[in-house]
Amino acid sequence: MIFDLAARSLASARVLIPSEQLIGACAGSRMPAVNPKQLTAAIARRVVEACPTSALQLEQSGERLTLDYGECIGCGRCLEMGAEAFLPAETLLCCGVSRPALIRRWDIETRTELVAGESALATTGEEIGKLFGRALNIRQVDAGSCNGCEAEIVALSNPYYDLERFNIHFVASPKHADMLLVTGPVTQNMAEALRHTYESTPSPKLVVAVGACGCSGGIFAGGNAVTGAVDAIIPVNAYIPGCPPTPAMLLTGILQALRRAPGNAGCPPDVTHF
Amino acid sequence: MMTPTPAGNKLTSVRDVLAFLRHEHVRLVSIFGSIEEGAKRCVHYILEVDGREYRVVSLPVEGNIPSATTVTPAAAWYERELHELYGVKINGHPNLQPLLSHASGYHFLQVDGPGVCEVPVGPVHAGIIEPGHFRFSVVGDTVLHLELRHFYTHKGTEKLFEGAPVMSAPMLAESVSGDNCFAHAVAYCQAVESACGVSVPPRGRALRLVGLELERMLAHIADLGALCGDVAFAVPAAYTARIKELLLQASTRYFGTRCWRGLAVPGGIKRNLSAEQARELSQVVAEAARDFAELSRLVLDTPSLLNRFESTGILSREHARALGVVGPAARASGLKLDVRHDHPYGAYRKLALEVPHYPQGDVLARARIRIDETAISARLIGETLDALPAGAISSPVTCPAAAEGFSAVESPRGELLYWIRIQDGCLRRCHIKSPSFQNWPALPLAMPGNIIADFPVINKSFNLSYSGCDR
Repeated sequence: MIFDLAARSLASARVLIPSEQLIGACAGSRMPAVNPKQLTAAIARRVVEACPTSALQLEQSGERLTLDYGECIGCGRCLEMGAEAFLPAETLLCCGVSRPALIRRWDIETRTELVAGESALATTGEEIGKLFGRALNIRQVDAGSCNGCEAEIVALSNPYYDLERFNIHFVASPKHADMLLVTGPVTQNMAEALRHTYESTPSPKLVVAVGACGCSGGIFAGGNAVTGAVDAIIPVNAYIPGCPPTPAMLLTGILQALRRAPGNAGCPPDVTHF
Repeated sequence: MMTPTPAGNKLTSVRDVLAFLRHEHVRLVSIFGSIEEGAKRCVHYILEVDGREYRVVSLPVEGNIPSATTVTPAAAWYERELHELYGVKINGHPNLQPLLSHASGYHFLQVDGPGVCEVPVGPVHAGIIEPGHFRFSVVGDTVLHLELRHFYTHKGTEKLFEGAPVMSAPMLAESVSGDNCFAHAVAYCQAVESACGVSVPPRGRALRLVGLELERMLAHIADLGALCGDVAFAVPAAYTARIKELLLQASTRYFGTRCWRGLAVPGGIKRNLSAEQARELSQVVAEAARDFAELSRLVLDTPSLLNRFESTGILSREHARALGVVGPAARASGLKLDVRHDHPYGAYRKLALEVPHYPQGDVLARARIRIDETAISARLIGETLDALPAGAISSPVTCPAAAEGFSAVESPRGELLYWIRIQDGCLRRCHIKSPSFQNWPALPLAMPGNIIADFPVINKSFNLSYSGCDR
């Protein structure tokens, strides 16, 4: 009975994944990575045409390829059509960053990545250790998602990811929250409730938009009953891409977003390594 | 229209359909509208006859039609949606307030009497769950009446299908209800296959079965954990989360995706398994099932948990039948409905499937259904992986210029049906009958007489999808 259960769980092996293995990891997310060495104009045209959202685009009359992770739903068509230039991503550091930092650009002729101003994404464990060390309360708000993101956010609390080890808790009310973790696309029917939730959250507060739909409207962008991305309704501090983002991506994004937390001035690194 | 009307049951008017629905062995599956050539409107009724045959009746409408809700309450939400989206006038419907749009006001049923209070809950809830609104009328702790106002996650998804290329629309289906994404994708793909006359190769069918049953295991395991969590029994909640994560990580290893997105395609499936991978996956699943079975035995041996589950949130067989309830909730209220058994598709055609069912209709019965079905799913996965047919995993699909098709699968939440119309390689109309749309109206009938503090566990025992319902 209940004691057998307790004995059973005590006897079972520890499954917690060390934070170093989680930060930046994105296995199972189906996000693409670009290998610029193999990029050609023909491949670029093909993948742009195949992309069901506008995540992949050509700029500067076809000289540049842009990949907006905020719009990517991981359908895998670029992997099918892009030969060796598109591979499943093993790591994805642009979680919990600004909207422009989700967009990456490659010059097709020189086959090199063009580094934009905002993509200095030094997401190392050390930096997070320096920046983060306090308790953080998160209120999750589903503003219209398909519930795919919610399932992965719930998984953050399982014994493998154990978000509470970082002193991060999910709370039941926006009035208790420091951070709103918002999934989208924001439907017309949820826009007002989302606004109220934001207003009910005491300042200083952080808003993180989650998932392709939260970042950009995703596959629902332009639909007749949605208003689109979360930032169309409330101010957003950071974005986590993915359809859905994996728990590792969510964790990376939440920790990375804290770099911008108002008044969050760093803490001894040793308390945040697990 | 393409209506199969065998002799003896000619259904050529809405009145015929209503008369037919009065038969004991006819179940309403869905009602939806479409716009035909020349802006004419058409109403489609999907019926199940004798528990083994689906029949689609498509009727052009002009002017008013009589309400099917007067014959079976299962039609109520379908007709409200039909009225709202297609402007079809429906005579005799008890409540035609808009379902999907919240632009205009909404009138909740007022419950009057000494000591009656209203408790509004939602759309933003306390847990990590989807948005919806519940309006309770209570006396003290006891619930007298519950009314739902949902569709906060309405995204106009059926409309987004229109114009989408047939081969790329599975990704839209996957986003109807994210936690049942593979069931949605397969139901859509099977509808395309029925419209285009495509047959999926045996290995493709077998791998689809593995995905569908794995998704069911994930859903049921998580449901039992959440049920325990809702009565503050934290250990099994954490334990089930662990078993679920193990299966998600196995999915990543062997299929490159945690949630089975991007795998189903009209004609078959995209990823193959090597013999060794099949063996390994089979072992992981068997181990997870063993772990879960042991955990379930301990859970069901705990008197304090039984005290909370037993006789809580009873949905009677009569109510379940009247509202056309499907899935685990139907089977826990004594209705032996399972698409895999009643309308076998894909690899299920070759299986003798047992359908667990309980007469009690309470939270405990709905929990038991999940426990029993997880074991059955694991066995099906094991048997399938141990004897994977050789050969291709998908067939080429050629779309005719115009075609219609439909297909049903048993998703973890119950009967899920896609009806599609194709024209020139794109979708003209796609209707999704989601089990959650069908089952939500039954939840309020399980509430009266229960205390409001039991609502979370009762709601969770139905575990309906808001997004799947709202679309």
